[in-house]
Amino acid sequence: MTGADPILSVKNLSIRFRTGDGMVYAVNDVSFDMHAGQRLAIVGESGSGKSQIALSILGLLARNAEVEGAALWKGRDLLAMPAAEINKIRAREIAMIFQDPMSALNPYMTIERQLSEVVELHEGMSRSQGRARALEVMDAVKIPDARARLRAYPHEFSGGMRQRIVIAMALMCRPALILADEPTTALDVTVQAQIMELLAEVQQAMGTAIVLITHDLGVVAGFCEDTLVLYGGRVMETAPTRALFRAPGHPYTRGLLRAVPNINDPSATLAAIPGSPPNQTHPPRACPFAPRCEDAVTACFETLPMLEPHAGTASRRACLRPVEALT
Amino acid sequence: MLNYTLRRLLAVVPTLLLLIVVSFYLMRLAPGGPFTSERPLPPAVMQNVLERYGMDEPLHVQLWTYIKNIVCCFDFGPSFSQKDRSVNDVIAQGFPVTLTYGFWSAVFVLVCGVPLGIIAALRHNSFWDYTMTGLAIFSQIFPNFVLAPIMVLLFTLSWGLLPGGGWNGGQWQYVIMPAVALGTSYMAGVARLTRGSMLEVLNAPYIRTARAKGLPERTIILRHALKPALLPTLTYMGPVFVYMITGSVFIDIFFSTGGIGQDFIDGAYARDYSILLGLAVLYAMLTFVLTLLLDLLYAWIDPKVRSQL
Ligand SMILES: Nc1ncnc2c1ncn2[C@@H]1O[C@H](COP(=O)(O)OP(=O)(O)O)[C@@H](O)[C@H]1O
Ligand SMILES: [Mg+2]
Repeated sequence: MTGADPILSVKNLSIRFRTGDGMVYAVNDVSFDMHAGQRLAIVGESGSGKSQIALSILGLLARNAEVEGAALWKGRDLLAMPAAEINKIRAREIAMIFQDPMSALNPYMTIERQLSEVVELHEGMSRSQGRARALEVMDAVKIPDARARLRAYPHEFSGGMRQRIVIAMALMCRPALILADEPTTALDVTVQAQIMELLAEVQQAMGTAIVLITHDLGVVAGFCEDTLVLYGGRVMETAPTRALFRAPGHPYTRGLLRAVPNINDPSATLAAIPGSPPNQTHPPRACPFAPRCEDAVTACFETLPMLEPHAGTASRRACLRPVEALT
Repeated sequence: MLNYTLRRLLAVVPTLLLLIVVSFYLMRLAPGGPFTSERPLPPAVMQNVLERYGMDEPLHVQLWTYIKNIVCCFDFGPSFSQKDRSVNDVIAQGFPVTLTYGFWSAVFVLVCGVPLGIIAALRHNSFWDYTMTGLAIFSQIFPNFVLAPIMVLLFTLSWGLLPGGGWNGGQWQYVIMPAVALGTSYMAGVARLTRGSMLEVLNAPYIRTARAKGLPERTIILRHALKPALLPTLTYMGPVFVYMITGSVFIDIFFSTGGIGQDFIDGAYARDYSILLGLAVLYAMLTFVLTLLLDLLYAWIDPKVRSQL
């Protein structure tokens, strides 16, 4: 990792939701840094709080959310920013790619309008300048016959093409950071690979930093240099992706890795982690993974492990058990 | 689109024919007739009258003549109860009146109902939302025959601001109360409907996308949310507008506005077959034209519907 200042520094982020049945503690004490051009993966099962982290950074949380901590963007806290201020950062400096391209686009507006309005707003472009930029970006994400399809509506495109449009939308202002929330989850397997390839390509070309959110460690392998593993809204482990795959330091990470299909041996059975996701109606007081952990000892149910560097590597993990003792 | 419109208009013809035939026979089946009265007319006089209106001929011949006159000359025949007036005359006099206050009533419904609904949605669960919803429910259960007397009591009798009835060529003072009395409960309905659909749209993922673009709230509402939020309102307004025009009977009687609602009532009392049938056909055509217009409007808003036309 570079020694330069991070562009985004998330510090002790906690997010909870007021609901009819009391509080839901969705994200607990999460910290991480993003450097210019960095690719970071946030990995975790569905419900582990990945999307809420991304949404909180752009101030898009639901109304019943309460946030604590800070998300420093160029030294300013995004979480405490008034609407008018954060509106200048949205899409222009930090853009978001949403999970489901079927519903992320407005069905009542042309593609052109949905793309061009971003630069008309942030860069004061005219309609025709906006159209030119839209064409440029649609070419960059390889939408065939872009000029003819400017006036089309979302329902006229396939899922993969719609996700390309959503990506194009995120690229309109050439942001410094893109938050990609499960950009391929809703798509066919073959299309998934194409979209990941495309993301890698535009990331390279534009030097944009990307937070890639996914529940699939397999997607992460070739793409992100760093990975953060989330469970029950807490960081279990964060490490350079390569180190994480070679020597996972947390029982949960090990379980996730066993759940990744092996390309070399497709017949190998997938080991899903037994048990169900944690109850999040209380802030965690012990390791949230303990009830599902094969290696848990009594202490794991009583103390909350802190995220600590292990074995002098760049990796950090939150586990009471020594790495050598893990199965 | 043009093709679609033509197809729809053509489809109206058989429906109208069916409507005419069925209503024609139904009306003749009902006991009594335009010339029955307490003291029966002498047979010779009766024969004269029946001949004059062509009622001495067999029913199917009368029906055939009726349809022929409509198709060739758009002539709905003479009125049975009003001497020397044709149904065309009656409609030509009453329909513009009904259409005028019906139109302004629809304008009132939309111009007040839609913004009220939007404001309530934006101020979701606040004082304004509750006030608005309360008022809406209150006026929705307020039928126009309760509202109209109250309005006259206040605006005419107490404050002397507006005339309590009459038409006077459709001067605005005479239009306001009929239009508002007719529209209030629908206005409340539109407000509630718009509020609900706006709230739903504001929760849609594509609105979150719009927020993530940094668009100001006003742009999000007007550019991204308004169109889809109005679709249910449009669907609601079609039948409502027709109903406002056909249901204007009470307004015509209470305010003596002289619209076709009055003719309808008079016609029904007098068993004036031709007036009743003529008005039924008029209402039907109105319904067709309005639903067609609304469908076209719907298609204009929703590209998915448009691509299917
Ligand atoms: N508006 C909300 N009200 C209550 N709970 C919520 C709300 N939004 C999200 N949550 C909860 O927050 C947790 C994390 O959600 P999310 O970040 O969407 O998970 P994922 O990792 O699948 O993206 C889930 O348990 C979810 O039920
Ligand atoms: Mg998610």
